[in-house]
Amino acid sequence: MQLTYERRKQLTYRFMMTPALLLMFIFIVFPAFYAFSLSLTNEALLGFAAKESSFVGLSNFERLFADPLFWNSLKVTLLFVIGSAVIGQFLLGFLSAVLLLRPIRFKAMFNAMICLPNAVPEMVVGFLWISMYASGEYGTLNRIVAWFGVDPQQWLYSFPLMAIIIVNTWRGVAFAMILLTSGLSSIPKDIYEAARVDGASDRQIFWRITIPMLMPTIFLYMFVSTVTTFAIFGLVYTLSRGGPANSTEILGIYIYNQSFTAFQLGYGASVAVVSLVVSMLIGVFYVRMFKVEV
Amino acid sequence: MSIASNAITTNGTSQKMTKSQFKTYLTLILISLYCMVPFIWVVLASVDPKASQFLKIPESVSMDHYWNLFANQSGLRWILNSIVINVSATIIALVFAGFGGYAISRTKAWWKLPLLYAIILVRIVPPPALIVPVYKVMLTLNDWVNALINAVFTDVATQQTMSRAFSFVDGYLGLILILAAMQLPLAIWIMKTFFDAIPIDYEESAAIDGATQWQTVRKVLIPLAMPGFAAAGLFAFINAWGDFLMPLMFTSSPELQTLPLGLFRAFLRVDAIDYGFLTALAVIYTLPAVIAFSFARKFLTQTFSGGVKG
Repeated sequence: MQLTYERRKQLTYRFMMTPALLLMFIFIVFPAFYAFSLSLTNEALLGFAAKESSFVGLSNFERLFADPLFWNSLKVTLLFVIGSAVIGQFLLGFLSAVLLLRPIRFKAMFNAMICLPNAVPEMVVGFLWISMYASGEYGTLNRIVAWFGVDPQQWLYSFPLMAIIIVNTWRGVAFAMILLTSGLSSIPKDIYEAARVDGASDRQIFWRITIPMLMPTIFLYMFVSTVTTFAIFGLVYTLSRGGPANSTEILGIYIYNQSFTAFQLGYGASVAVVSLVVSMLIGVFYVRMFKVEV
Repeated sequence: MSIASNAITTNGTSQKMTKSQFKTYLTLILISLYCMVPFIWVVLASVDPKASQFLKIPESVSMDHYWNLFANQSGLRWILNSIVINVSATIIALVFAGFGGYAISRTKAWWKLPLLYAIILVRIVPPPALIVPVYKVMLTLNDWVNALINAVFTDVATQQTMSRAFSFVDGYLGLILILAAMQLPLAIWIMKTFFDAIPIDYEESAAIDGATQWQTVRKVLIPLAMPGFAAAGLFAFINAWGDFLMPLMFTSSPELQTLPLGLFRAFLRVDAIDYGFLTALAVIYTLPAVIAFSFARKFLTQTFSGGVKG
């Protein structure tokens, strides 16, 4: 009797799991594996290969690794992730978190203002910043730098990569701030008091206590922000579509352009495979390294 | 910190305090300005009859752009499409994640751990990497669905209506399902964490007291898991609402366009950009996400700290 009850319960759990698994399988897991098999074909949307695609082995990858545009895209992606997620968002988020934990006034207001960009849809982010970066002397950023005596610039043409890094930093400060605030406030206060009694300076306390105690949060932040930044598409697509001259062509945009602008699905899939492998490696590294509790 | 600093009087110390406070405020004001300037433009331009790409104080204020939005057929259509598609996707994700999160929280079967790790990995799959295979999957499903529709309905008008609703490419159902699928990993994870926090004793004692399974679910589980549903639903909605890639790939007909795509395509018409219309639309599009985010904020840390062991 007990056994059948247990057994029935287990079957119910499996049954309850099914719809979610099915949906994820059809739209995420299966396509991810399918990308691998597509990358071994010369599948295309136009031309001969569109009618009948054939197995071409690893030739897409041979072409890929010899393609300067692919290496450019990889480099741009790396700089984009490091510039915005690892440096920009983290530093500004950390600074905001530290400052907002001090006894100051208008705390809620500052908090709300810093959080606002995080809620904005990707497409609107692009739209807002195209206006900020508008060229000519009336462009908002041009008017700001004019106070410092800088001549009007065509930001999205002269500094395209920096421009998208600044936009993505803008968008992600809040996420870093919220996560790091919770990390900072979970450090027990008595450790600080004990250190003060022992005569530690502010700097020592920061480097010897705050930073080490905050490390798990910092790693969690780095993991989440790296994988999300790696997956960005809409924000850059609306701002620059990868241009000018491929200077902002992050991997997502490169895949899209190869697949739906150049119509080379097989080749696009091989770029997708690289992108999948990289993010899976980051994921496995994180799960193994930090023993994610499940 | 030499003798000089020891010699500072009370007055000196307080001045130093003000200086550090001043620096704190100045830094926060600068960061806030960085965050706020783009919003100042979009809000001012949306109420400025002479809206332009440039930030300026309007000479007069009117809500005309907003009224036009609702009078303008396409604006209203995009808003309604966005609401229908994203709310449906959120509901599907919530229901499936509710069941899935409960099962994975309660089961002790061998598949529990592998599945949890798999969900983490599924969550970090970058959507742009899936565009080609997903496109082919959607095309196949689309063929099946349309073959089915044509087999069941003979009337051409009905066929077209059904096809619009249930197609996977350029139809509602496909977009809804794929957006729901994309939100599932995080939603399941959130639900699982919340169900973990509800002791199984509650359910068992309800059962002992003679409650039916359905009563236990409705009167015990759902009320207790409400914060979980709120968190999962809010994040699913925010992510689906802001998604640009899926509508970009799977909608082409104008009747089906949602806000992100409508906004994007209207903006591409370089010859005649109506900044008043666009900024008002951008404000309307952003508002639900901001409201949802303000509620979701307090859950943010809980959901991302998939529990880090030091």
